[in-house]
Amino acid sequence: MTKLILTVDDSASMRMLLKASLTAQGFRIEGAEDGAEGLERMHEVKPDLLITDINMPKMDGFELIEAVRDVPEFRGTPILVLSTEFSDDKKARARSAGATGWITKPFDAAKLGAAIRRVCP
Amino acid sequence: MSAAGDDGLDEIQGIFFEECAEGLAVAEQGLSAMAGGQVSADVIAGVFRAVHSIKGGSGAFGHMALLAFSHRFENVLDEVRGGAIPPDAAVTGIMLGAFDILSDHVAAAQSGGTPPADAAMLEQLDKLLANKGAAAEPAPAPAEPAPADEFGFAPVAVDLDILDDPFGFEPVAISLDDLAGEPAGGWTVRFGPSRDAMANGGEPILVIRELERMGGQILDADLSALPPLRDLDPEESYCVWTIGLPATIDEADIRECFDFVAPDSLIDIRRQETAPGAAPPKPEPVPEIAPLPAPALRVVETSEPAAPEARPADAPQQTIRVDLSKLDQLLNLIGELVIQGSILSDRLAPADQERVELPQLARLTRQIQDNVMSLRAQPIRQAFSRVPRMLRDLMAATGKQVVLETIGETTEVDKGVLEKIGDPLTHMIRNAVDHGIESPEERLAAGKSAEGTIRLSAEQKGARIIVRVADDGRGIDRARVRAKAIEKGIVSPDAVLSDEEIDNLICAPGFSTAETISNISGRGVGMDVVRSNVEALGGRVEIHSVPGEGTSFTMALPLTLAILDGMIVRLADQRFVLPLSNVVETVQPVAGQVKRVSPGSEVIELRGAYLPMRRASELFAIAEHQRRAPEESVVIIVESGVSGLVGLMIDTIENRREVVIKSLEDNLYPIRGLGGATILGDGSIALILDIDALIVSPGFNKFAPKGMAA
Repeated sequence: MTKLILTVDDSASMRMLLKASLTAQGFRIEGAEDGAEGLERMHEVKPDLLITDINMPKMDGFELIEAVRDVPEFRGTPILVLSTEFSDDKKARARSAGATGWITKPFDAAKLGAAIRRVCP
Repeated sequence: MSAAGDDGLDEIQGIFFEECAEGLAVAEQGLSAMAGGQVSADVIAGVFRAVHSIKGGSGAFGHMALLAFSHRFENVLDEVRGGAIPPDAAVTGIMLGAFDILSDHVAAAQSGGTPPADAAMLEQLDKLLANKGAAAEPAPAPAEPAPADEFGFAPVAVDLDILDDPFGFEPVAISLDDLAGEPAGGWTVRFGPSRDAMANGGEPILVIRELERMGGQILDADLSALPPLRDLDPEESYCVWTIGLPATIDEADIRECFDFVAPDSLIDIRRQETAPGAAPPKPEPVPEIAPLPAPALRVVETSEPAAPEARPADAPQQTIRVDLSKLDQLLNLIGELVIQGSILSDRLAPADQERVELPQLARLTRQIQDNVMSLRAQPIRQAFSRVPRMLRDLMAATGKQVVLETIGETTEVDKGVLEKIGDPLTHMIRNAVDHGIESPEERLAAGKSAEGTIRLSAEQKGARIIVRVADDGRGIDRARVRAKAIEKGIVSPDAVLSDEEIDNLICAPGFSTAETISNISGRGVGMDVVRSNVEALGGRVEIHSVPGEGTSFTMALPLTLAILDGMIVRLADQRFVLPLSNVVETVQPVAGQVKRVSPGSEVIELRGAYLPMRRASELFAIAEHQRRAPEESVVIIVESGVSGLVGLMIDTIENRREVVIKSLEDNLYPIRGLGGATILGDGSIALILDIDALIVSPGFNKFAPKGMAA
C-alpha cells in the first residue's frame, strides 16, 4: 500500500521539493507549513510517517513532535526530523521529544527514501 | 541533485528564490532595526530564521557557495540569538556586511553567476565566533575552518553527508586490528534495543529485517532479560540479537541500518574472528572510535535550550501564496468584464439599462475590480529595502556619509508598478549620493553636519503614488547645468530658462553633468532614462532644488497599470482616451480666447489668466484640412506635473468611461506621448494619451517637430 507522509516545513520550496522527490519514489505526500497546521493535518490525514522541520514560525518542530506524541493514536507513528541543524544537542532534544530519527538537510532524494523505508517499510 | 523532474525543479527553485528574497528583506529589516538600537529577541530570532531558511533551501538546490556562506552567517546569528555574542554596533556592522554578501550570493545563485568574494567576511565571522563565542563554548576545537578553496567554498561540505548520524549515537566497537587484518570472516552484530526503543516509532524488527535483506542471519537471541509474563510491557523491548553478516558488506551500510535506533541501545558491530555459527564474541564496551561524520565546523549551541522561540509578529496572519500570473489572469478577465459592461451600456438605451439592472452590475464589477487591485497591492517597502544596502556600497565607494530616513514604507502599490520603480529609484539614490551629497569636509565647511541625509518617502495622493528622494546636499548647480546643456546642444545659448526648466535639463536625453563619468551614477544611463521609465509607467518625475540646501526628485506614479478612468475625446475622426486624473476642466473657446504669442506657442485666456495651450492636431501632425479652428473645438485644461495647468485642444468630447489599458510596449513598442491603447464598447481601438509626456516633456519631438523650448 502506498505510504502517506506528512511533511511540515515553513518553506514552500522545501515542501515542493520533498513532494516531488518522494512522489517519484512512490510515496503519497501531504504538507503543512508550520507546527500548528502540522498537528491539525496529522489528525486529518493520519499519515504513516511525519517528516518535520525544526525552525518554523508558530509551533516549532520540537513542540510539534511533543504534541503529536501526546496523542495516543500517534505514539507509534515514526517521526523524522529534516533540518539543517545537526548539533547533538538538538538531536537529543528531538529524541526526547519523541522523534524517531534525524536527517540533515540538504537531503539526497534516494537516501531520504531509504531512510523513510527504514522506519516505515 | 534531487529526484524531482527538471521542469518541476526549476519551478520549485523559482519559489525558493522568492523565499530568499522575502528572507533577505526580513533579515535586512531586522539588522537595520538592530543597527538602529532596537535589539530584541524577536528581531534576532527573525533574522536567524530568515538566514536559516535560505541555508536550508540552498543546499537542496545545490547552491553550495550560498550554502557555505549562509551556514557560517547562521552560526554567528545563532550565537547572537543565544546571547554569547553581544549584538553591539561592531557586531551588527559585521552582520550587515555579511548580509550584503549573502544577498550577492543569492543573486549569484539565481543568475548562475560567479559567487562573490566572501573570504574576508568569512574570516570576520569566524573571528566573531572565536572571540566572543569563546565563553559559551568550552573547547571550541578551533573550528578548523578548513581553508576555503578557490571558490570560497567552506568546509560545510561535511554535513552535506546526508544521513547524518542520528543522535550522535553510542559507542560502536570496531577493532582496528580486525579492520587491518586479513579477509577474516563476516560481521557479527549484536543489537539490544534499549527498553524504550519502541516508544518513538522506532521498530527494532525493521532493523533486523533490513540486516536480513543484506544477507544477515540471526545467530542468537538472548532472552535472558525477558521478565515473567505478568511484568512484561509489550511496548518495551527485552531481547538482544546476534546477527551474522557476510564479509562483503560494507561496515557503513551496516551502521546505516541503525540510523534511527534509540541512542542508548546496544549496538556492537565487529569482524568475526571465527566462522559464523560459532559463539559470538563477548561484547564489551569498546572505547568509541567516533564514527560520526563529524562536522568539521564548530557547532554553536544556544545556551538556552530553544524554548518556544520568541517569534516576530508574523504569526497571526492567515495568508495564502498565489502565483502572480493567476492574479494577472484574474485582472485581465476583470478588464474584459469592464469592457463587456461598456459594450452593454453602449447598446442599451438608458431605460433598458435600468431594466436589466446594468448600473448594479457595473457597481459590482467595480467592487471586484477594486478587490483584485488590492490583491496585487504590495507595500513599497519591497522596493525601498534595496536602498540601505546600496547606500552602504555607495558610502564605501565615495567616502561620503549618509543617513537614510524612510517614510511611508507601508504605502501599497500595485505589484506591476513596484517591479518597475526599482531601477529609477536606484538611479535617483545614486544620483543623490554622487551629485547631491557633499564630502564630509565640504559639508563641514558649509556649516552642515558631516553626515548627509537622504529622505526616501512614499505616500498615496488620490490615484497616484508619490515617491520622493530628497537629499540635503549642495543642490543643482544651475550655471553648470545650463553650460553643459548648451555645450551638448540641448538648449540654444540664448534660450531664456526658468530655474525649473534648468533643473529639468538633468532629465534631458544625453545629459550628464559629471565631468568624468563616475563609476556610480555614470553607467551609461542618465536621469533621462529615469524619466522615460517613469513616464512609460504613466508617471512623471519632478525635480526641485535649492542651491546649498538640497534636491528632491519626485516620482508620481499611477496606482495601477491596468484600468483607467478616462475621457473619450475625438480628434479628426479618431477617438483618444484622456486619463481623467489629468483633467481639470473643459472649455469651449470663443473667438479671441486663444491667442498666438509666438510661432508654435499659444495661450488660452481663462478667467483673466493665460494658460499655455497645445493643439492636439499639431502634436499629432493631423492633415491641415482636418484641423479645426479653436471656436469649433474643445480645450481641455489638464494638469501636468512640471508645467502646471495646460490647455489641450481637441475636437469634441464623447463621454467618460473606464478603460482597460492594453500596453503598447508589450504588444508593439513604446511611443512617447501615448500611454497605451484600449478597446472601446463598440470594439474599436482608441489610443490613450500620456498627457505629461505629450505636453510637458522638452524631449517631445516625435509628433511635434518644433518641440518645446529650444
